[in-house]
Amino acid sequence: MANYIVKRVLGALPVFFGITLLVFILINMAPATIADLAGGEDASSAAAQAALEANLGLDQPLPLRYLLWLGDLLQGDLGVSYRTGQPVLHMVAQRVVPSLILTGTGVAAAVAMGIPLGVLAAWKPGSKWSKLAGGLTLLSFSAPGFFLCILGIFFFSVVLGWLPAAGMYSAGSGGGVGDLLLHLILPAGVVCLSSLGSLVRQTASACGEVLGEDYIRTARAKGLPERAVVWKHGFRTALLPVVTTILNHIPHIIGGSLVVERIFGWPGMGSLLFTSISSRDYTVVMGITVLIALAVLVTGLLMDIVYRLVDPSVGWGGEGR
Amino acid sequence: MNRHSLFRLLAMTLALSLALGLAACGSTETQEGAAQETPAPAAEETADGGVNVNYGISNPWDSLMPYYSVSGSNYSRIIYDKLYDRLAYLQPDGTCAPRAATSWESADDGYAILFHLDETAAFHDGTPVTAQHWVDTIALVTNPACNVLGRDTFAGLTGTDETGAAVAGETLGAEAVDETTLKLTFQNPVDPEEFLVEHNRDLYVLPTHLLGDIAPEDLVTDDFWLHPVGSGPCKFVSEVSGSTLVLAANENYQLGAPGFDTLTITVMDKANLLTALIAGDLDYYTFGGSLSEENRPVAEQAGFTVQEGTVPGTFYELMLNNETLDSPALRQAVALSLDKQLLCQQSAGSLGTVTDTSILPGTDYSRPVGESSYDPEGARERLAQAGYEGETFSLACTSQRASLAALIQQDLAAVGIQTEIETVDSATLFAGMNDGTYDMAVASHTPNSLPLWFTGSRFTADNNIFRVQDLSHYTTLLSALEQETNATARIDLVDEWEAYLQEEMPFVPLWFTYALHVQSKTVSGIDYPAAACCNENVWQWEKGEA
Repeated sequence: MANYIVKRVLGALPVFFGITLLVFILINMAPATIADLAGGEDASSAAAQAALEANLGLDQPLPLRYLLWLGDLLQGDLGVSYRTGQPVLHMVAQRVVPSLILTGTGVAAAVAMGIPLGVLAAWKPGSKWSKLAGGLTLLSFSAPGFFLCILGIFFFSVVLGWLPAAGMYSAGSGGGVGDLLLHLILPAGVVCLSSLGSLVRQTASACGEVLGEDYIRTARAKGLPERAVVWKHGFRTALLPVVTTILNHIPHIIGGSLVVERIFGWPGMGSLLFTSISSRDYTVVMGITVLIALAVLVTGLLMDIVYRLVDPSVGWGGEGR
Repeated sequence: MNRHSLFRLLAMTLALSLALGLAACGSTETQEGAAQETPAPAAEETADGGVNVNYGISNPWDSLMPYYSVSGSNYSRIIYDKLYDRLAYLQPDGTCAPRAATSWESADDGYAILFHLDETAAFHDGTPVTAQHWVDTIALVTNPACNVLGRDTFAGLTGTDETGAAVAGETLGAEAVDETTLKLTFQNPVDPEEFLVEHNRDLYVLPTHLLGDIAPEDLVTDDFWLHPVGSGPCKFVSEVSGSTLVLAANENYQLGAPGFDTLTITVMDKANLLTALIAGDLDYYTFGGSLSEENRPVAEQAGFTVQEGTVPGTFYELMLNNETLDSPALRQAVALSLDKQLLCQQSAGSLGTVTDTSILPGTDYSRPVGESSYDPEGARERLAQAGYEGETFSLACTSQRASLAALIQQDLAAVGIQTEIETVDSATLFAGMNDGTYDMAVASHTPNSLPLWFTGSRFTADNNIFRVQDLSHYTTLLSALEQETNATARIDLVDEWEAYLQEEMPFVPLWFTYALHVQSKTVSGIDYPAAACCNENVWQWEKGEA
């Protein structure tokens, strides 16, 4: 197992650097740099723009800039934000936890709702549960996040006045858990609804397939209670693809939800990424890329380890199933 | 799958969930920890449950170092306005009120300005603000070794070059006459009020007594700006960069203590500002509770009073690439083909007023609006005169202005000018006009009462965003305007300048729009229109009950 992990980590290194290189090239291909934004609507002079580019090192050749950035990264330095002059690590560290809270809660709620709903939809096709699962899946896939945000704010904040429309804490509240939960309900609800569709569909599909198997019919013929047949024999077998779907959400949890964070004024990674891209703050974009790339690679590794723990036939030698 | 494997799988999943959960639960501490990394002495005040004003803003600010605003945007200026002090408080009509300076006067035949500073002004650490602080600030910012931005504010001072950098061996035109008198000396005569209208929003005094140990080249990225000290009406408490800024009232501010304990500034999407105000999550949002006409009934139905602005707050223009639209006749054809009245009505409703100039209406330099310039026949004649052969021009716009660009495209097509719309973000738009990628672009700007607020900086070799091929006559006229001190002669020169712009048509002025301000139900004393000048009278704000 240890050998396998070492091999996988070594294999992931080129992928990681490949991702950073690709993102670096892509963001530098975008029209305009932060120097073009300097001066805002007052339109700064060419000399001022050139001075800023020189100051930020944007006048250097692209390959050299990447190598310099990489050199700093290997020393644990993500650089300094072009826009704020603050260390990128400091800015990212401030935003990771709020993103974990928001998307983590949203995805956890989606898992808590999606798995039972998916199982019920597969178990009792045509029932009210099945219809509810179908309706929620349709809503999840068809309603864009920004629309759900605005709808939620309109009903729960403006019309009913039950929930706050923005922010993570009420100002001056001291950051209590109750206050946080109140602010969390709407944005996490949107994240939950957005993630729900894929979970319900995946669970229902996996369970539906398993519940038609011969051994399930045998279990029923043996007289086992229906609940035990479905949950102990059916769901257990269907769990693997469901866990895969859940694990696939981890990079999303760490990376935050751009639209939801932006609309609700949530101080997470998504809103930082939005601001950084808009302002061509390449160092921050690269810092967030590093974090998300690591999350994706670590999640992939975790998934492979889980597969091999669950299904010993896959083996640790790297041979396929 | 056997039972043992299932347990292992569940254990792994639970362990992962637990790890994420623990990370999330630890968030409050970490969040506070992050805030506590950068607290000023007043940090506890936020948790005391004091009177707080919730303030919304749709775009983030840059660094809290006021001379390092990379975007140079008003979103940063409106934040600096709270933390740092400026010489004066500006109104949109161009009048100035005392702030750090109690009065000002012209000296040395108009070549100098004397600012008499408020002797009670003090930094947040209690150190009195003196004229020497202002002089040291200017010396620091004009130091070429210092990587500041916006140095061109000081470009007119003696001893500086055209970028505002101090010239070695020359005496800098900033002098502390005494403890409370600051003297600025210029290369050309300067009217004090006009200087303030143009530069006040970018002139701040820094606590130079606390910056002595920082090397000039390290100044802008120093950790000092993570917990800055200024002399403005609010003191720094904590910041989540680009998201939340908590400030405390400066009870010793020379113009009065703000009527609240803390001001919490939160960045949120523009679309959510009004709803957050209606829901009670915000007390106010910048700039001056700015409201579009279509949202006016929404605000009024929610019981808010909507105030109409008295001075235009936005100027719209159609930028032209004078290199590709290479003849005045062609550019005039573009101008004549636009039904500005209809476009303005579609874009701004009743809040717009069409214009043929960038000069703000109602100033000494403005002229009565003449007959509409909309003349499709005249446009066709000009096109024939210019030898236009039907080539397609690119018309850039941001997504918010896509419908306006489509209407402009229709007007242009009606006289035979073909365009292709490209929807881009504002950075790409301005960069594209600068490098000649686009032929036309729709843009807007915040005007002020100076006649050259828009045109004065856009026709130089160093900043030629309209890509004018021959700037010589522009330079001659601008130079004459800069030198002229006689008011009547200056007005005549402005008329001559405007006539030349009409003839050459390097860009097409479209219209001005007036702002609507949704008034706060919980905070009184807000001077809404003044936010357009990037200053807010927070020392007069009073938080009460809704």
